[in-house]
Amino acid sequence: MTAIVRGSGGNPANAADEGVCLALGTMGSAESTIASACRTETTFTANGRPVRVELDPRESLLDVLRERLGLTGTKKGCDHGQCGACTVHLNGRRIVSCLTPAVQVNGQAVTTIEGVADADGTLHPLQEAFIDNDALQCGYCTPGQVMSGLACIAEGHAGSDDEIREYLSGNLCRCGAYAGILAAVRETARRLNSPVSEG
Amino acid sequence: MSTPTRRVDAREKVTGAARYGADRTSPDLAHAVFAVSTIGKGRVVNVDTAAAEAVPGVLTVVTRIDPAELGSPGFLMGGGYGFQSLQPLTDDRIAYRGQPIALVVADTLVAATEAANLVRADYEPEPIATDLDDEGAETLVQEEAIPLPFLADIVVGDADAAFVKSPVRIEASFDLPRQHQVPMELIGGVVEWRGDTLVVHEGTQNAGALRGGLARQLGMDLAKIEVIAPYTGGGFGQKNSLQPHVGPLALAARRLGRPIKFVMPRTQTFHQASFRPASRHRVRLGADETGRMLAAVHEVDQQTSRHDLFPSMSTEITSRLYGIGDFRGRQRLVRTDVQTPGFMRAPFEHPAAFAFESAVDELAYAVGQDPVSLRLANDTDVDPVTGQPFSSRHLAECLRRGADMFGWAGRTHEPRSMRAADGSRIGWGVAAGVYPASLAPAVARVTATSEGKVTVGVDGHEMGQGIRTAITLLISEDLSIEVGDVTVYVGDTRVAPQHLTAGSWGTATALQAVHAALRELRKHLNVADSDPVDLGAAVAATGQTSVEVEATTIAPGQPPEIIEHSRAGLVSFAGPVYPGFVAFSFIAHFVEVRIEPTTRRIRVPRVVSVADCGRVASPVTAASQLRGAVVWGIGASLREESEVDPRFGGFANATLEEYPIPVNADIGEIEVGFVDEPDPMLNPVGVKGLGEVAMVGVAAAIANAVFHATGRRQRRLPIRIEDVL
Amino acid sequence: MRPFSYAVPATLAEAVSALAASEPGTKILAGGTTLYDLMKLDIEAPPAVVDVHRLAELAAIDTTRPDEFSFGAGARMADVADDPVVRRDFPVLAESLAKAASQQLRNMATVGGNLLQRTRCGYFRGGPAFPCNKREPGSGCSAIGGLDRGHALFGAGDACVATYPGDWAVALLAFDAEIDVIGPRGVRTVAVGDLHVEPGDDPQREHTLAGDELIVRIRVPVTPSGRGSTYHKIRDRESYAFALVSVAAGVAFDDRGVVEDCRIALGGVATRPWRSPAAEAVLIGERLTEATARRAGEQAFAGARPGTGNAFKIELGIRAVGDALRIAGERAGR
Repeated sequence: MTAIVRGSGGNPANAADEGVCLALGTMGSAESTIASACRTETTFTANGRPVRVELDPRESLLDVLRERLGLTGTKKGCDHGQCGACTVHLNGRRIVSCLTPAVQVNGQAVTTIEGVADADGTLHPLQEAFIDNDALQCGYCTPGQVMSGLACIAEGHAGSDDEIREYLSGNLCRCGAYAGILAAVRETARRLNSPVSEG
Repeated sequence: MSTPTRRVDAREKVTGAARYGADRTSPDLAHAVFAVSTIGKGRVVNVDTAAAEAVPGVLTVVTRIDPAELGSPGFLMGGGYGFQSLQPLTDDRIAYRGQPIALVVADTLVAATEAANLVRADYEPEPIATDLDDEGAETLVQEEAIPLPFLADIVVGDADAAFVKSPVRIEASFDLPRQHQVPMELIGGVVEWRGDTLVVHEGTQNAGALRGGLARQLGMDLAKIEVIAPYTGGGFGQKNSLQPHVGPLALAARRLGRPIKFVMPRTQTFHQASFRPASRHRVRLGADETGRMLAAVHEVDQQTSRHDLFPSMSTEITSRLYGIGDFRGRQRLVRTDVQTPGFMRAPFEHPAAFAFESAVDELAYAVGQDPVSLRLANDTDVDPVTGQPFSSRHLAECLRRGADMFGWAGRTHEPRSMRAADGSRIGWGVAAGVYPASLAPAVARVTATSEGKVTVGVDGHEMGQGIRTAITLLISEDLSIEVGDVTVYVGDTRVAPQHLTAGSWGTATALQAVHAALRELRKHLNVADSDPVDLGAAVAATGQTSVEVEATTIAPGQPPEIIEHSRAGLVSFAGPVYPGFVAFSFIAHFVEVRIEPTTRRIRVPRVVSVADCGRVASPVTAASQLRGAVVWGIGASLREESEVDPRFGGFANATLEEYPIPVNADIGEIEVGFVDEPDPMLNPVGVKGLGEVAMVGVAAAIANAVFHATGRRQRRLPIRIEDVL
Repeated sequence: MRPFSYAVPATLAEAVSALAASEPGTKILAGGTTLYDLMKLDIEAPPAVVDVHRLAELAAIDTTRPDEFSFGAGARMADVADDPVVRRDFPVLAESLAKAASQQLRNMATVGGNLLQRTRCGYFRGGPAFPCNKREPGSGCSAIGGLDRGHALFGAGDACVATYPGDWAVALLAFDAEIDVIGPRGVRTVAVGDLHVEPGDDPQREHTLAGDELIVRIRVPVTPSGRGSTYHKIRDRESYAFALVSVAAGVAFDDRGVVEDCRIALGGVATRPWRSPAAEAVLIGERLTEATARRAGEQAFAGARPGTGNAFKIELGIRAVGDALRIAGERAGR
């Protein structure tokens, strides 16, 4: 039996000292996870590396990746799920990290743009295709576009130009690189889905 | 040597390695959030910060800064550095909704955000005027309010008399909405002190103004300020100047002895930075029965703020589009209660061309002429305003080639005459665009090594347009070295003054300076300008391991001392009128729209755009920039309007959900072409500008296509579904 | 955002007891795309949240029964949208989900949580600068007499004209779906038609569930008109936008090609998912033609009460109904 606790403030450094956690209720299972506004320990993997962080439940996955883990390739463009710049993969599926409380990814696998290329620096074919098709300008939305494009292909949503356009519409690009992004995803989907793929 | 087809910084961008301003992290970083005014105008009587200060982790809540400690940056267009002259937090006046009333700095972002939401203020509100026609809005004649020659009304001959005498007369009024640049990168970055040196990491188009403006605001020596912006995540005019969050952050960082990160929430970017002002354009066009244009009158009312006069330069291009003998421009400014509006891609030229090129299309229909033929027949070799030649003008070639690529010959002239198999109305429209080819002073410092590698630091900012690639290509081709052996530093006040990169002068300006530095380098290496060079060997032959040269260039006709003006961070460009010639870039856009038979959704399945931007300095990035500008034109004409509720002021749809920029599914085929003729007069590299002209005329081409599809003229943007139901 | 406590029950039963024991205002967190978003905007400030987003008991999608499809409340929107059986046999359901939000958000948001999505009214979301009865009871409604292009034609009152923004619930309403709800008092079933309420004089109240109740599953009767169905959504851009007008439509024909079942519900134009039995009645017993579809559309919008900037949605909506019925009819196969 464990108490759900509630803290008083937002500063993880101070909150633990305050000792004002209030009992909220009880729960019956040992598997239940308890957290508080004081802070909670969260573990997950980021690009295959285990991560353990003490979190305020208010922190978004986006801010934790950027500010706590130094994974700044994931970008903040709106912080409200309206632009897609913060797209990452959670257990292989694309999500927006800005609307994901970081505590929610406890025990799960997060992949960011930093985890897409091989460790030796060899780019993923989609990254190559982005370069070949100049599917970017300022580059700020690009990590999100790549993460979304990878998922689009993996989901089987890259079957036609219209389908790719639709399934990449959750990633805004103000520079207007959409034609190149479409071409890069189309080309990569063909390459990866081709029966005689190289390698 | 291979001809590179790739963007040189693309790898960094597809791997997430490119570091933007807010990508800096450090263990002692503090986080800032601003609380903002909820009223549209008035006075803040009291700011209650008690609850905010009680939030654990809050380090400071600043509600008032002594003007002696933080002065006005001055207005960018008034000899200053700021997007507006008003510096929030320095007095009790509220000029617009969304104006900062408190700065909160805390250990963590969640604490700073929570605290900022707990700041409460009491106000004395005052009535506001938000629209051009509102009671309380104050209209000024621009040339009287700002008596500067380049802002004076353009008058050639007697346009009013010539209009009255014209056998064919077109008269129409066009309304254009407020719009916001919304680059994907949020405004902000990291401000830190290293000893007594202030270092600002922030995406900007104008590191020089950040430095100069902070020096003025804080009373500091320029040499004690560094602004570092190797990558800017889109600017489009929004990041062309010092913004009012930086000064307070600098003071707070000094007081706290900690670096501060600030990332402006998206909604605040609609209020704490500039925007494209509302404007109304009244166009009168007189012509003979063959469509030969005889007279044009173009009158503009454009919104500005109470505290600054953001000028209009709309008629600079409409007077040059065609060889019209009698032209009269009139530009007025309307003061409203808002932050100061400013530059947004093709700031005046997009609205002006929408109005003028819509009227030209009306003329074509009035005289029964094909819209392309009519434009070709009105082309001119001589600038009608100054009588000087154009440095280069290939508008006719843009129109002809574009018409070919588009298949314009297959168009039937009558409105509503083309229909798709599914019943959709098809409309084909054309419009031309023109944009000044300006240049600014620049300094380029080139270092060549005996290993055959080159490093250059130069004025310029990389914000997606590909300036780093264009510079790399120039050096690589000139010195016959691999692209990978060239390293380019831009956006960094430690290597060059970093004059404003905007107005499509950036690439030409940087290339001109780099070109001059390369001439200097060849002199040092005793290699003739036209000869091939083995760079490493040539450097080694000097007995040094490296050779460093520097060159400073200015625009034709500028006095040499203009470089000091630029070093101070002040806007120092020249053009489009130079001694002996004028310089403009040109473009022609061809658009197909399809309008659904029932619910009337307007789609743009294909666009063809052909540009004359002089020599194409970087083909791959230029093509992307042109396609991107077409996307902008589609957004500007069919999607985007920053809405204002006159009861509240500010902007009502200040999110990326409610301010609908185009998504991938909105965009069809965009085919681009370039005349690619070097401009012989403007600069030795033959480059004019592209990023802005690329958008000029897209909206008119779309509106003209909508007319062709429906028979109805659209004189207000954006054209929405309810306008064609 | 205000501090809150966070609990992750491991089972449904634990979730129910945690909710029962929690302090007033405690919220259920599922995909987070509405609740966490509104918490960031300081519009929602629950003292505690109970996270159910990974409860396996809520995740099932069952399309094996001939008479009823069942969707666990925790199933992700994307999974239901991409389910091949749903796409084939009940396209309106798949399309209502696929045309909502973006794939990233659909991978997060649950089909249960989506039913309770809160309005996108800019005055509601815009914060303290704007009076809003839904956010601040008694403060007024800024949308009345304001920028109301996106606001409701149906079901509005003097206190609130905010549109219900969802699509999925519109489709469910058209096809008589029910939800099973669990709480400390046990399980009960609620028709989707009884879930949402009009603002009346209490715009804060948006649905009929108690604070300690949790949606367990959504059940949809399988009908021939489900196969002949579509979700037609008209937006300001081609994707990733809320509806100006949307129509869930379904048609089934008898042997002679006469309409024997018809479903019409509207989104984007009402304060709650809005079904139009009167419009359905226009078509039943008739042949589906351009003219009868138009009449149904006119009937659907007969009682519309526009504000200052949304009257165009009446004609737009009439035409959208016509188009939706045509698409549905083609699928139903005459």
